[in-house]
Amino acid sequence: MFSNQRTVLSGYATEQVKRLKILHHYFPARDKYPRDSRFNSAIYDIERVLIFSTLENNKVDLDKVIYRAGDKIHFIKYLDDYYLGAMYLIIEIDEDRSWYRDTILHILALGTIMLIVLAIFGLFFVKLFLKPMKNSIELLDNFIKDTTHELNTPISAILANIEMMDTSIMSEKNIKKLSRINIAAKTVSHLYQDLTYLVLGHQRISKDEIVDLKALFLDRVDYFYILANSKKISFDLDLEDASLLIDPVKIARMIDNLISNAIKYNKRNGTIKIVLRKNYFVVSDTGIGIKSDKISSVFDRYSRFNNSVGGFGIGLNIVKSIADEYGFEITVTSKLGEGTTFRVDFSKDVIDEKSN
Amino acid sequence: MKNLIKTVGLIVLFSITLFSQNVFERNCKECHEHLPASLQRMFMAYLKVYSGEITVKAAIKGYLIKPDKKLSVMSDLFIDRFGIKEKSKLSEKELEEAIDIYWNLYNVRNKLK
Repeated sequence: MFSNQRTVLSGYATEQVKRLKILHHYFPARDKYPRDSRFNSAIYDIERVLIFSTLENNKVDLDKVIYRAGDKIHFIKYLDDYYLGAMYLIIEIDEDRSWYRDTILHILALGTIMLIVLAIFGLFFVKLFLKPMKNSIELLDNFIKDTTHELNTPISAILANIEMMDTSIMSEKNIKKLSRINIAAKTVSHLYQDLTYLVLGHQRISKDEIVDLKALFLDRVDYFYILANSKKISFDLDLEDASLLIDPVKIARMIDNLISNAIKYNKRNGTIKIVLRKNYFVVSDTGIGIKSDKISSVFDRYSRFNNSVGGFGIGLNIVKSIADEYGFEITVTSKLGEGTTFRVDFSKDVIDEKSN
Repeated sequence: MKNLIKTVGLIVLFSITLFSQNVFERNCKECHEHLPASLQRMFMAYLKVYSGEITVKAAIKGYLIKPDKKLSVMSDLFIDRFGIKEKSKLSEKELEEAIDIYWNLYNVRNKLK
């Protein structure tokens, strides 16, 4: 603590001892105690009785070598020859507290270095621990990217050919089979569109235009009708006129995913209720519902409510990303065994006031 | 008669002079005045070796009771030249009194400025 002062004080003490030696030799012809402008001093004999002192702080501890006494520093030197009978020489200087500042600076400097080193180590270990997780996500992303690329042509061909088929000359049995092929192809098509959006959607610049939501809902319900019908699910529509200034591809993806989910997680003979108002729309089902502790994670990528139902778990992640882009607020309410409701509130920026 | 008065007067004067001196002046100072090392220098030599009042007084007393070359604070040269003193004939009480006077006379304390 006093390492810097110790050297200086030791030097002062040696100088003072020399002066005491001279005074001892010439005493009593000379009787003026040696003084120095740089320090005060005192001498004590072997019985710790004061001989002479110029100290400003007289609280002396002869058992220590160096210590702080108020705002002074005392340094004790033991004399080998007791000049003037003095065994203890005390040197007193003002404490400039430079050691305190130095110590604080040292602590700060070392602390900062330690913090940087720890941060580097922390970063290194976090990267190391997260690497397997990152790799598996990358693997899934790459798989999706690769498969998506190859899906487009066959799906388009299947769907186009189904549309072109003349059902009037088909037997009832074949019409049913064709309908199943149509459902299967649409399911794959829906999945393809989701994956395409996921892989390429973020790079795509939004082309916002006025979209008539009522027409869009009617179109999408019609699109999913066969799929819903396969589970005997009926639609309950309560649609009012509403228009948004939005990218039609994105709002279609959003609606498709919510309806597709409502079908996927609904019970047989269930209902899907769709309500459309100027400022919001609601899609609710009468399905299995979501556990309350899982509601917060439904929008996470690759999260699925139920493993028994197929899918990648990317649909709601897409819904959320589109909602975030346009500042929509999504509220999810669910009761286990009774159903789930998604309410999407539009932001004021995209509501088309003129058309409404 | 005149001579008798003169003699008695001288004896009285001598006695007054003798008894007006203290035990230190009577027994120590007189002899030491003839030595080249003053009582002051001897005191400083004691102080340099023994430091405190109790230790200095005990050392002087010990030396006066049993003078020894090894115990002397004076230099070998001084001892070789003047030898060591004879054992003190004073009583312990007188010795202590003399040493107290010696201490008070030459003590450094209260004399430093």
